[in-house]
Amino acid sequence: MSTSTADLAHDHSHDDELVKVSLLDRMPGRGSSAAWPLGLAGVALLVAGTFLSWSYTGDVLGDLSINFYPGGVQICMIALGLVALLFLLAHRGPLHRLGEWLDTAGAVRALGLGAVIYMVIVVAVISVQSGGLINVNPGGWISLLGALVLAASGLMLVSRQHRDPLFAKTSSWLEILTIIVLMALLLFGAAYALGIGDGPSFSLFLIFVATVALGLTRAGVFTWVGLIAQKNRPVLMLGAFTVAFLFPFTQGGSDENMSIATQVLIFAATALGLNIVVGLAGLLDLGYIAFLGAGAYVGATLSTSAFATIGWKPPFIIVVVVGALFSACLGLIIGSPTLRVSGDYLAIVTLAFGEIFRFTMGNLDGNNGPDLTNGPNGIPAIPDLAIGSFDFGQPHTILGITLGRFANYYFLLLVLAAFIILVFSRLNDSRIGRGWVAIREDEKAAEAMGVNVFGLKLFAFAGGAFLAGMAGTVKAHHDVSVTPDQYIFLESAFLLAAIVLGGMGTVAGVLVGATILKLLPEKLRFIADYRLMIFGLVLVLMMRYRPEGIIASQRRKLEFHEEDEGLAERLEEVHLEEAEAKA
Amino acid sequence: MTEFLQQIVNGLTLGSLYALIAVGYTVVYGIVQLINFAHGEVFMIGAFGALATWSVLFKGQTGLWVLPIMVIGAVIVSVVTAVVMERIAYRPLRNAPRLAPLITAIGISVFLQEAVRLFYPGAKSKLSFPEIDVVTGAALKIGGLNIQRAAVFTVGSLLLSAVLLWFFVNRTRMGQGMQAVSEDPDTAQLMGINVNRIIVIAFALGAALAAVGGVAQGLLNSNIDFRMGFLAGLKAFTAAVLGGIGNIQGAIVGGLTLGIAESMATQFIPGQFGGSAWKDVWAFVLLILVLVFRPQGLLGARVVDRA
Amino acid sequence: MTVTETPPARQPHTVGAPILEARGVTMRFGGLTAVKDVDMTVNEGEIVGLIGPNGAGKTTFFNCLTGLYKPTEGQVTLSGQVIPPKPRAVVIAGMARTFQNIRLFANMTALENVMVGRYCRTSSLALTSILRGPKFRREEEATRARAQELLDFVGLGDSAESLARNMPYGDQRRLEIARALATDPKLILLDEPTAGMNPQETKQASDLIFRIRDSGLAVVVIEHDMRFIFNLCDRVLCLVRGEVLVQGTPGEVQSDPRVIEAYIGGDDDDDDDDVVAGGATEVRTPPADTVTDPTEEKQ
Repeated sequence: MSTSTADLAHDHSHDDELVKVSLLDRMPGRGSSAAWPLGLAGVALLVAGTFLSWSYTGDVLGDLSINFYPGGVQICMIALGLVALLFLLAHRGPLHRLGEWLDTAGAVRALGLGAVIYMVIVVAVISVQSGGLINVNPGGWISLLGALVLAASGLMLVSRQHRDPLFAKTSSWLEILTIIVLMALLLFGAAYALGIGDGPSFSLFLIFVATVALGLTRAGVFTWVGLIAQKNRPVLMLGAFTVAFLFPFTQGGSDENMSIATQVLIFAATALGLNIVVGLAGLLDLGYIAFLGAGAYVGATLSTSAFATIGWKPPFIIVVVVGALFSACLGLIIGSPTLRVSGDYLAIVTLAFGEIFRFTMGNLDGNNGPDLTNGPNGIPAIPDLAIGSFDFGQPHTILGITLGRFANYYFLLLVLAAFIILVFSRLNDSRIGRGWVAIREDEKAAEAMGVNVFGLKLFAFAGGAFLAGMAGTVKAHHDVSVTPDQYIFLESAFLLAAIVLGGMGTVAGVLVGATILKLLPEKLRFIADYRLMIFGLVLVLMMRYRPEGIIASQRRKLEFHEEDEGLAERLEEVHLEEAEAKA
Repeated sequence: MTEFLQQIVNGLTLGSLYALIAVGYTVVYGIVQLINFAHGEVFMIGAFGALATWSVLFKGQTGLWVLPIMVIGAVIVSVVTAVVMERIAYRPLRNAPRLAPLITAIGISVFLQEAVRLFYPGAKSKLSFPEIDVVTGAALKIGGLNIQRAAVFTVGSLLLSAVLLWFFVNRTRMGQGMQAVSEDPDTAQLMGINVNRIIVIAFALGAALAAVGGVAQGLLNSNIDFRMGFLAGLKAFTAAVLGGIGNIQGAIVGGLTLGIAESMATQFIPGQFGGSAWKDVWAFVLLILVLVFRPQGLLGARVVDRA
Repeated sequence: MTVTETPPARQPHTVGAPILEARGVTMRFGGLTAVKDVDMTVNEGEIVGLIGPNGAGKTTFFNCLTGLYKPTEGQVTLSGQVIPPKPRAVVIAGMARTFQNIRLFANMTALENVMVGRYCRTSSLALTSILRGPKFRREEEATRARAQELLDFVGLGDSAESLARNMPYGDQRRLEIARALATDPKLILLDEPTAGMNPQETKQASDLIFRIRDSGLAVVVIEHDMRFIFNLCDRVLCLVRGEVLVQGTPGEVQSDPRVIEAYIGGDDDDDDDDVVAGGATEVRTPPADTVTDPTEEKQ
């Protein structure tokens, strides 16, 4: 995104909006006269094609063989066509006032190219799965042609100068409405995506989502969304939790997706705890999974499992506290070398601690040490949680909808995740959070300004460990058994990857990262064997091209791009805008 | 007493292996202050390179003359891996915050392990390493001590490598360039030394020694698997730090010390916490103690402040 | 570049009891003695200058005062209390510093930078931060208000939301002073506050230092710019080769032939001193005669 246009827009951003629009509009760029109608034609073809049969056989990608009854894969293309139409009409035509704020040409380009990729894959899947291109019906070809035309139009459209959406003045009800609509789409999309059974359809849906997201990003919509999300944070949080809360009700009592969802939540909750250590305090912890493990082992040994080695069976709430405190103590031990060690060496020290934990759990089997953990076999048959008279193992019916075992754990984990998010964001925005940033920026200067560097680092380790320990106690019951090989180094690397992928130091980023890392391998079974390799590759590529992650914290972005002055200035403008909005 | 000497022998064998790998960590660190966390994988790939060379060219052969060619095969595969890795993944990050290369290294490490597991035929489980005349087979018995034949090969390779390395670093132009870059990269660049090339050579040098280590490991254990690089890499890193990272002699001293310490701990820590079940734990405890209390190592690190 | 020779009119102020007392401070690095048996007293409401040619041990002495180094011999007391050689303890005891080469938290805003300075004077811990009770809100509000007040004081009130890294050089220097003031010091140590400034900025800096003094703080300044020091300070110490050469009012020091000799005639010895400095101090001090050049050290 160019700063020059942002600056231009900045100069007269608060003037009246009407005058310049028509001026800009009357200056059509080269080739754009044909491009616009071409785009409309592309959309028409794309959408028209979806109402016709795409496939001769009815067993590919759902059922795409019936005329005038589009299947899920086809509906995605209708939706994409409509989004493209919106941008075309904003480029020139009835919505041109909206278009003044957006890079409409860029959006159409992204949408067109995405549609082409989508349709090519559709055609390829149909021909592979049902034996030859002959099985692709005219509707499929028409839509492919439409996608190509749309892409061509997008490439020919000339980006107009547009104002930075950052300075758009919008009424607050519109902002809140946008957030609600986005949240509803999120819920609907998540429920729909999880309902997709076959891998190819799921991949196509992902391509669709990615295309639309890219289109909206190109247009600059997300810049604006990011700003209104900042301004309406309570609404956003409330909306997100409502969506998360409602999710189990969309599953019709099925435990299959809820099982994935609970895994995602455990993973996300742990990753959020790690984000305190890595994202806020800037300390690399490569042994973090040990804290989850410590919590899980406490949960297991204090449970009523017949294999538990300790006789004390306190109520679960006490187990949670004990697990968290035990974990926090380990955190203090692991954190203590930070007094003398930092950087890469600290990372290696934490890695070594993580491995020691795993080996120790594997050794304490009565032969090589006291019998605490049953060694490599771990502690199996951990009973389901029962809080009061509520048995987590039994399905419950609420408002006529059955919620199964995993849905029960899901709600508990949701509360836990909410708690961790609360801790994370409140610590971030406090005296302690400022101290962490200062340490990250310049440790010596922070010390010389009276910041308790060692104390804060230790607290980050202990606090992060505390939260992971809490998650661990729930995980023990959720997983039914606890074994040392659940807590290998690779799991720590996964947690770190969730943070790196999603965005260091942000809550939303970690949630996105955790979801991607846990959900995709579950849904894309056909890449299951390659998932680790892809994971490694993605880590390398992210560090190379976008080290700050998908949803980056602004400060982290700056830290990874020290030399980029333009970025710094732009982010400052955003900051000023936000400060103004708060006031 | 025999028991003690036997542990010394075992320790020296293990230590030579660690030393061969540790040189790679230390050489790269000395020049670019980067912990090449994926170096253990280079070692693993060396072992697979040797096995592949044998399977393709000499399947069924056991003559000693096969061994040098296997070593060459291993070295080629490892060096290519390391150089490509440096060029594609590390070089673009040279001025990035220190977190970035470390995460990249983890990514490379996972990628390489998985690539071997998925694409090397049969690598999903352990693969048996070929038996070679003279260097494998019945252990030698000298005065009540059992000395594995492969152990002799391991220690011998370390000695030979150390001599060649010494010659390379002190007696060749390139080696002197390397020393210059590690002292002061900016000045070295001004003096007309191609720093990028020196860095590539450092990676290649470390990879070559790790490849020899990979062959030694295959002969010692008579099997290899795609996970073998992780633990070996970590221990070799410990050895490098123990000796003083950035210091080549240090890596060798550190490797031998760690090997002997590990053997001794296995044998002489009494009670339930001794024995082989805890030997890795003690190695990691040693790693932590070294990093915390003597990060400059036994012989002194070239760059103390960086970590 | 002309700087007025006559000292600016000073507001009357009172010099009170001693705050900082350094007695026999000696710092050796191996065989090198960077600072040798230095005594210094700073009284309330006083501005003390520390001058000396390159490698004279000024920064090493500074580091002994601020707890970065533990002196080999001698001790430093602040308000009668011996200060432990830990930077944080020194700040808590009431002595804050700025850095010769600016060390701001570059990716934080000006306001946040100053708020970090309040860290050691506030007490909200984890639980209060998470629960957000009225005490937390009050403290946070007070921190913010105090930080804004200090920004106003140094003349950066309008730049509160600017990122430190985007600020002009002179503003960064003033921001660093504001951050140091936020720790509620009794004494502030300024390490070359005008390095790289043009005459106008230098004038502003000395005005600012007078205002800090007038608000009741004692100030110690290291500087190369002699005119700046002699206009500013109540007392001046001249350090040469780690020892106090001359100490007295600006007039006395200015007219002392040994000082002039140390600065002008000591060219040959300068190199030796640099060797000492290289081993002993963290940062190279720029040559005295180029410091007032505004292009120097601009970032």
